[in-house]
Order: sequence, then C-alpha cells, then structure tokens
Amino acid sequence: MGDMQGGSLPAYCTSRVLVLGCGNRLFGDDGFGPAVIEYLTAHYEIPDGVYVMDVGTGVRKLLFTLSVSPELPDTIFVLDAVDKGKAPGEIFEIVLDDIPSEKSEDFSLHLSPSSNLAKELEQRGVRVRVLACQVESVPPSVEVGLSEAVGQAVQRVCEVVARELGLKEPLTLTPGPSPDSGEGRS
Amino acid sequence: MTRTLVIQPVSRIEGHAKVTIQLDDAGNVHDTRVNVIELRGFEKFCVGRPVEEMPRITTRICGVCPWSHHLAAGKAVDAVFGVEPPPAGRKLRELCNSIAYMEEHILHFYILAGADFVMGPDADPGVRNVIGIIAKAPDVAKRVVRVRHMAAKMLEMLAGKAIHPDAVVPGGFSKPLVSADRDQLRKMADECLDLAKFSIAFAKENIFPQYLETVKSLGVIETGFLGTVKEDGSLNLYDGKLRLMSKDGSFVDFPYDKYTDYISEHIEPWSYLKFPYDKRAGKFSMDLDNPSGIYRTNTLARINVCDHIDTPLAQAELEEFRKSFGRPAQLTLLYHWARLIELLYNAENAIRLLDDPVITDHETRVKVTPRAARGVGCVEAPRGTLIHDYTTDEKGLLTNVNLIVGTTHNNAPINMSVKQAAKSLIKEGKYDQGILNRVEMAIRAYDPCLSCATHKFDGTLAVRVDIYNAQGELIDSMAN
Repeated sequence: MGDMQGGSLPAYCTSRVLVLGCGNRLFGDDGFGPAVIEYLTAHYEIPDGVYVMDVGTGVRKLLFTLSVSPELPDTIFVLDAVDKGKAPGEIFEIVLDDIPSEKSEDFSLHLSPSSNLAKELEQRGVRVRVLACQVESVPPSVEVGLSEAVGQAVQRVCEVVARELGLKEPLTLTPGPSPDSGEGRS
Repeated sequence: MTRTLVIQPVSRIEGHAKVTIQLDDAGNVHDTRVNVIELRGFEKFCVGRPVEEMPRITTRICGVCPWSHHLAAGKAVDAVFGVEPPPAGRKLRELCNSIAYMEEHILHFYILAGADFVMGPDADPGVRNVIGIIAKAPDVAKRVVRVRHMAAKMLEMLAGKAIHPDAVVPGGFSKPLVSADRDQLRKMADECLDLAKFSIAFAKENIFPQYLETVKSLGVIETGFLGTVKEDGSLNLYDGKLRLMSKDGSFVDFPYDKYTDYISEHIEPWSYLKFPYDKRAGKFSMDLDNPSGIYRTNTLARINVCDHIDTPLAQAELEEFRKSFGRPAQLTLLYHWARLIELLYNAENAIRLLDDPVITDHETRVKVTPRAARGVGCVEAPRGTLIHDYTTDEKGLLTNVNLIVGTTHNNAPINMSVKQAAKSLIKEGKYDQGILNRVEMAIRAYDPCLSCATHKFDGTLAVRVDIYNAQGELIDSMAN
C-alpha cells in the first residue's frame, strides 16, 4: 500500500467483501437490489470486513472507482433485477463470460459498461458474483413497490448470500429500517 | 429513396439516447432527431409526501448526479419553510457541491470524453475506453485515479454516504465538520488543485491544439446561454441569480424563483422530453440558420454568462479563454475547455471554504416549521441549471412539484448540434465508424444525463446503427 491509499480510499475499496444492491426503488421490481440490502441489514449481523451497500442507479460510479483502485475486495456480490423471460421471482446467476462479447466493448458508465468493469475486476483477481432476479414488471413511470413474486425472492436470495458469507442471523430482529438505512453498513 | 440511420444508444454518456439520421434521395442528411428517455411520473409520485423528505427522495432519481438533486431539493425545502441555513451549514453544502463537481468533471474529461481525444475519434471502439487511456497515458491515468479516489473519500468524510447522500437537511447540514477532518480534507483539496492545474495545462498543450479543427467545426451552433452568477456577476455554482444571455451577449438577470417569467417549454410530438426556450424570443425554432429562443446550459454556458471568476487561477484561465474565443464562445466542443476551467475553480473554491474558520462552527442547521408555501431551489449541476419547484399545504405536504434538469435545458441545442454535425459529416450516403462517433462526440460535449431509470448490468444494450429505407425496411445495420 502506497502513502496515499489506506486513508484516502473509500471504505468500499478496502473491505474484504462487498455486497451491492443495484436498482431504482422508484420503478417497481427494479427495486429488488435495494430491497435485498434492506433485508440483509435488518435481519443479519454484518461482520467487519463485509460492506453492504444499496447503490441504487449508481453502481457504475463504484465499479469505476473500484476498477482503478489499488486495493480491492476479494469478492463482490451484485444483486440486480433483470428481464430474461424466466418465471417472475426466479433467482439465477449471471456469468459475466456469458454476456455477448460484441457488446462488451461498449463503454458507457451508466448501463452495460457495468458488466465490462466487472470483467476488469475479475481479471484483477476479484470474484464477482451477479445474482439476478427475474422481474414481473418494471413500470414505465414512477411506481414504488415490488411485485409479490419478486418480494418473496428477496428473503430467498438473502439466505443464499448469508450462507456464502457465513452470516449469523441474530436471535432478536432489529427494528425495521428506514428507506435509506441499507447503504454503507458494515 | 429516403434512408434512416439510427444510432442507439449513444455510448459513454450517462444513460442512453437514440439518434435517428434521415437521409434524402442523394444520401445527404435530411433531418436528425435525438430521442431521450425521460424519468416519468416522479412529480406525481411526490405529491402528498412531506416536503422534508425531498432531499433524500430526489437522490434516488439518479445515481449519476445525486448531489445536485440533494442540494437543489434542500434549497427548495428551505424556501418552502422560509429559512436560511447558518453560515457553516451553507458553506458545508457548497463544499460538497465543489467536491462532487471535481469528481464528475474529472470523470467526464478523462474518461467519458477523454477517450475521444486521447485515443482519437477514429480509434477502434474496443480501445476507445478507460482501459485504452490507461494503456496510452499511464502516468496521467495514475494521477486521475488517485484524485478521483480522493474526491470520493472527501465526500464520504463529509457526508458519510457514497451514493445516496443525506447530509443536506431542511435548514442546513446534518453534522458539523470537526477540525481534525478539516485539516485532512485541506491536504486532499491541495492534491485536487494540483490535478486541476495539471489537467488544463495538459489539455492546452496536448489535446486542444491537436483537435482545433474539429473544435471549430463539429456541432457548431449559435445560441443563448443560461447560468448562475452572484450579485457581482461572478461565477457561482451553488447560489446566486440566474442570467439568461442572448447570442449577441446581452443578458437579463432574475431571481431563480421567477424562472417561469423567462423560460417556456415547447413540446415536440416525437419526444417525451420538453424543449425549454427563452420566452423573450416569442417563438421556438431549432432551424440551424435561424434558431429562435434556443439557449444552452452546462459548463460553456456558465463560463459565458459570468463577468468574472473570483478565484485567481480560474480567472486567469477565463481571460485566456475569452481572448481566444470571445464572449459568448459558441463552439460546442469548447464545453470541454470550459469544464476544465470549472474544475480549477472548484478546487480553488474547496480550499477557500476549508480555510474559512466558519466552516467548523457547531451550528449547521436551524429548526423548521411546516407551512403552506411555494419554494424554488436552484443549483448549477455539472450538467446544467437544475431547478426544483415545490408547493406545500399548511401541513407541509407537497401539492405540486416541478423539476427542470440540466439536460432538459440542453434538449434543443443537442438536437441542433447533432444535425449540424451529421450534415457536415455525412455526404452522398457515405459514412463510417469515425463519422458516426463524431456525431456522438457532439452529444457528449454536453455531458448529458439522459436516463434516470435504467441501470442494466447484463449488457443488453449497445450502440447500434440501423439503416432503413423509405418503406421502413431494414437495409443495413452496424454495431458500435
């Protein structure tokens, strides 16, 4: 670590594990990722070294900062809502290598580039796991709230993440979180 | 036969847009349209909610420029409650704004637009990206990366959160700045200033001269400009009055809560996004030879409307810029140059604010009481003038919300610049990857933020050009 890195890097660069919930709460099932972070932080003890963030629609900013950071997490979990024509609420893993190569050269920091940046991180030795949930619907205008199928998937995917990370579920549940309480908890 | 080229989406801008270029029988450009995706239904969603929630809710609109929405909402809520934050609260807000600006401007110049210049517009799209830049200019990339991390860290220290800030609260700022943090931030701000000075010197020596011909020809249009200045006419990005400049350089100043007296919104049937225009012109027209009511916002606009800049290094750059390009400067690619002057200003401004003893005062907010009122908040977002306009009932619940975001102000000029670029670059049906990327360059100069709703991770969108004939049949397709 050079002279600047330690104290001058955002916490998400220096954590061992990063869990990112992507999506816009303002658009129905697109809020899956943030809902997962909310559930995780409310129902599990998050140990030191694990950084859990609701990144909303700002994932590219983080991935960009990470992709050029001198320090990196060992593992990054990305929770996202997608439409792949599967059954609503189905949880599946997206393998970065499966994303069509002709699209991987596109570079915009807001949309698909996220997958390119994630690939860069993998090449630097980070294990990137993208856990996706099939949406039922994403409304064309602002409408808050998950569909029943996607809402039920939130707990299921949290159990997967918790198992992978060895998280302990506390005996007494903490009170319900405020809408923004999921960001930056460790 | 009329052919239509569709470029969708424009890569390397925030969000995505569809560019349609319609060719005439001779294969020359007949018309162009830039369609953008807009966040719909947000205003309606807000109605009935407590107004004090707005600074937090609006950061959810977009992960690209949450600070600007956060600050504009905070100011609008202050106006609704009829309060002014204490000096420390105000200065902390402005400090966060300057740091967020630095983070964004560095990203845009070096990464989003820089790829066009560092790698060249004709380079293979596969290398025209951040990795390409790092490979071609590793020393520069290292400095950029270091300071960008630093800016992110500074915001984290001040506000706690990286993505959805909640430090701006009704009546001020949520927590005071302690002296130890101030001292650390001050050292970091020095490094930011070093990079800002390096960036403009580097660009003036290595980039702008090389592309001067492109700067002089690409996307050039003549318009008015809108931006914020302080009472004395100096540049300010957090507060002041709005200045609407005509293309001849004359201007009118007005308080930002009077914006509806000066700005109207035109509607085109092919676009969800409205087209704001200068009401004084009497009509709206995007005719390249005879435009009416068109004005631009964002960096070049702000650099044009201000009389001077009250920090010494940025002022010196402004004087040099004006000597070369006059006032108002109209060349579209000068947005990049203006962006670097603003980067310098923000670095100097951050240092000035951190050196002010008031910034560590403990009193950072005042109490607020709900009331029925209208309040308008306005800041200069990196992408243009951002207006939040709220009305509440006596319980402080929202009854009306109107937002005008920076990119919306630039809707008409973006369309005009694309048309100008396409007309000059596509002749007799001949085009290639470089030409199409130059059309995109004209859009990128405005640093538009076009979609606040989508963020897909799985690579489902990429740049694609489809060519249709007059009968609507797909006759050619090329991927970017």
